[in-house]
Amino acid sequence: MTLIELKNLKRHYEMSSETVKALDGIDLKIEEGERVILLGPSGSGKTTLLNCISALDIPTDGSYIFGGKTVPRDKSEQMTTFRRENIGYVFQFFNLLQDLTVLENILLIQELSGEKDQDRAINLLKLVGLEDEIDRFPAEISGGQQQRVAIARSIAKKPKLLLGDELTGNLDSETSTKVMNTLVSACESEKITAIFVTHDESLIQFATRVIRIDSGKIISDEKVS
Amino acid sequence: MSMLLTKRLMRSLWRTKLRLFAVVMMVTIGVFAGISFGMYANVITDMYDETYLDDEDGVNLPDIWIKNPVGNWNQTTSDSLCKLIEEEWSSNTLKLENCESRLILSGLMYHANESMSAIWHGIDEGNIDRVWFPKHDCCSGRLAESADEIVIDYHVAKGLEIQLNDTVSLIAGHGKVDYNVVGIGLHSNHFYFAEPGSIIPAEAGTFATGYLSAEGLEKLANVSSGTSNTILVDIKGTPSYNLLSTDKNEGPELESIIQNLTLSLGNLEDISVIIHDRSGQESVEFLRADVEGAKKTYPYVTGMIVVIAGVTIFLSLQRLIQSQAKEIAVLRTLGIPRASIMQGYIIAPLVIGGFGSLIGVLLGWYVGGPGMLGFYEEIIGLPILLDTASSSIIFENVIIAMIIVFFSGIRPAWQASRLQPLEVFRGKNEIRISSRSIQKLTAKLPATLGLTIRSSIRKPIRLAFTFFALGLSMVLFGTMLMMMGSMEDIFSPNDGYDAQIFIPPDGEEEIINWANTNNVEYELLLQYPGTPQGDNRQFLIYGLDKIETKESQLSMMGIDLKDGELPIISSEVFQVLIDEGTVEFLDWNIGDQETIMLGSTQLKVEISGITKGEMQRTIYFHRADLSQIVGINTTSVLLSSSEDITIDSELEELSIGITTTEDLRKSMDTIMEQQQGILYSMNALGLLMAFAVLFNTLVMNIAERDFELSTLRVLGAPINKLGVMLLGEHLFIGFIGGIIACFASLFMANLMIESFVQWAFYFTIEPTFSQIITIGGIVVGMAIALTPLGMWRIYKMNLIEKIKDISQ
Repeated sequence: MTLIELKNLKRHYEMSSETVKALDGIDLKIEEGERVILLGPSGSGKTTLLNCISALDIPTDGSYIFGGKTVPRDKSEQMTTFRRENIGYVFQFFNLLQDLTVLENILLIQELSGEKDQDRAINLLKLVGLEDEIDRFPAEISGGQQQRVAIARSIAKKPKLLLGDELTGNLDSETSTKVMNTLVSACESEKITAIFVTHDESLIQFATRVIRIDSGKIISDEKVS
Repeated sequence: MSMLLTKRLMRSLWRTKLRLFAVVMMVTIGVFAGISFGMYANVITDMYDETYLDDEDGVNLPDIWIKNPVGNWNQTTSDSLCKLIEEEWSSNTLKLENCESRLILSGLMYHANESMSAIWHGIDEGNIDRVWFPKHDCCSGRLAESADEIVIDYHVAKGLEIQLNDTVSLIAGHGKVDYNVVGIGLHSNHFYFAEPGSIIPAEAGTFATGYLSAEGLEKLANVSSGTSNTILVDIKGTPSYNLLSTDKNEGPELESIIQNLTLSLGNLEDISVIIHDRSGQESVEFLRADVEGAKKTYPYVTGMIVVIAGVTIFLSLQRLIQSQAKEIAVLRTLGIPRASIMQGYIIAPLVIGGFGSLIGVLLGWYVGGPGMLGFYEEIIGLPILLDTASSSIIFENVIIAMIIVFFSGIRPAWQASRLQPLEVFRGKNEIRISSRSIQKLTAKLPATLGLTIRSSIRKPIRLAFTFFALGLSMVLFGTMLMMMGSMEDIFSPNDGYDAQIFIPPDGEEEIINWANTNNVEYELLLQYPGTPQGDNRQFLIYGLDKIETKESQLSMMGIDLKDGELPIISSEVFQVLIDEGTVEFLDWNIGDQETIMLGSTQLKVEISGITKGEMQRTIYFHRADLSQIVGINTTSVLLSSSEDITIDSELEELSIGITTTEDLRKSMDTIMEQQQGILYSMNALGLLMAFAVLFNTLVMNIAERDFELSTLRVLGAPINKLGVMLLGEHLFIGFIGGIIACFASLFMANLMIESFVQWAFYFTIEPTFSQIITIGGIVVGMAIALTPLGMWRIYKMNLIEKIKDISQ
């Protein structure tokens, strides 16, 4: 079943001397359960595409259907609600709240979404292999562990789509592999569709589909086993 | 290179115009207040010193006043008293220059069919305590020379629009006499124009003073030529005297002369005297206290405002550095030396301080100072004759402001130069963690609440600075609020009676008859001056018909009993009540037996209780007890009626002065109204500064949390839930800030009161529940009011830019 459908999606930025076409007519369908990797050089538009998909950014033109419904693009709070109900996000620098323990970082998102479920939070930490670290603070665990907490946090409110922008960019290759394995198993067990932006070709092994993008256009789109 | 860096910094500052404006304004307000208060303090100090000088332009204030508390002296007695004073003069260093007798009487004046109580002076052209005609538009004409001429006081002439050659009708207990106004002038006893015993400036039409020739007053009072009741003694130069506001005795030599004269004159048969120096002269002492108060207050107020400005600059620069961390990190990475970075951040506050000071100087010198002096003219009623404010107050204030501003900028500048580029690029400089103990304490709370508390106190030093500045800002408001409350309590006239009729000694029978005829209730009152033994400071001594508490409403002049018991009449040792100021200054207490001087008579009294609410040092006797000692029954009659009392001409002619409660209330309303402008301005200033401080800190708190707030927003945190978190944080800061503001206000108000109070003016601050709630509530209210601003900031956050920042 199609989760995301983009038709002729454009994102143009009006600069003083020129118009920058960050996205220049993207047509894309992503099915539920897919793990998509967006590859491309710097400035190719992959992060802009991710921002439009996550309703952080507002497309200049084109349509964006998510789960059969048009994604709001005018009202900031409706876009936030869309993210809260549908999107999980994993950041390159983990972005854990340093003042909260590993468990509290997950509980906070649940509380803010009005869906506090401590058992699920603990289960998610078990899923990412951090059940022994629940009372520790982010500064007390490694970068890889922090990113796994971030993954657990991102799926804590049962999103339909998980997004990651260079989520292993701050990790060494061994840790990256561990984190990606965790992510794949988490997505599979929670039945979450995922889209990751990366420069790292080695991550292709964790994807079911690879889309290459350049100058705001998709230049290749291939399924991988 | 450093020039470009400074230019970059200035442009950055310009981008945050609102904050920049707030900081400049803080410095401006500090310097403005300093110069305004300073100019006021300088000018009135010079005026106080020069006005009373023993020269042609000054009034030649007496150095010793010898007053007859029970009646008048004839010419022979006053001459012999002056002779005795000359013979008994005990000092070799302080030379007696002049001794003059005067007649000063209470009475009434009629103008436009209205009567008002009055004090009449009989003054021929003398050497001491002259009627003053300063070179100013206020005053004109000449001294009264013949028996039907009068010089009307400037305050009265201005208030009632009396002009030269007008006719006024006067009474001094012996019928109405018309006088021709030949002069409008001033007199040292009435520079501060209030009824005797009152600190409230008299409202126009409620009190009058005038300066007749000696012959003119003798005619009015129907007394023989040369009658007097006051002897003025002038010493060569201006001798030091004991200031009531200090514990030290500044004038031991003058005090010794006064004690010797008290002994010598007190031993004379049928002579009763009260002797004091200028500290016992109400108007003179009030102006001196005002000068002293202005001098003492001005550094406090200025210092306080400039310190608040300093804290605001400090916090704002910290925030600026934080917002510019990436730029600074780039510069550091490019090899810009620390000193070059630091330089700009030191120059910036100096430029802000310089600009703020410049505006403050212009406003203070041309608006604030003249405004304060205009206010002085309005309230005190004395024309400002000098324009001698020294430009040194500009330098003093600007230098103080610049020093504070400089030191406020040093730490942020040092912090800027010490930023670690790598930490900045990794975003680590933005991450602040609360203390482990706070984390443990809040571990059991829901994550949102835990985060609210932890983020509120994540930066304890900044929070401490905020609370400090907030406390100081609210001190202005809180102190004014509490002082206004206390002033209203103290100035409120007694509600137990409608009018006080002053009578010649033992002239009460006719007033009682009048009261009985007119169905008006009455009580007799005996007022008499006294001093502690061996001390020249004066008590106001009341002999009351009934000593009862205000609550009981059994007496027209109810007292506010703070401690102890009401005195028992005709006790073996007379029992009295003393006011709490007397306890403070003399350390007398309940059960003590102390000796007081009533004129020349020594009297041992037992203190049965302590009263509160009196501004002057006061002793309450049973009238019968006091009367036995001083030999007078009554000095005034209090009248009360359920209906309005009509003061008719019969009553006026029987009296030597009438004070109605309605007049006192009018005067109080006027002074409160006059003061409201300045008090409200001070209140508004305090609130504005408190708001600026709170605004700065709360906005900085939110700005510092861009990292976590944007993360939460990206993860879908709804604005209302984040708003609740912010509200919790603001409530927490507001609540603590409110408590600190209350304590700081109370502490400062008491400190200010302590520096003001002295023997002649004593009052305490007793904050009411509503005042405390107002002060605390305002801080909490301001903190809550800033929540929508925080929410708006979060709502408007550019998440894409934030994500970019975080990702990069």
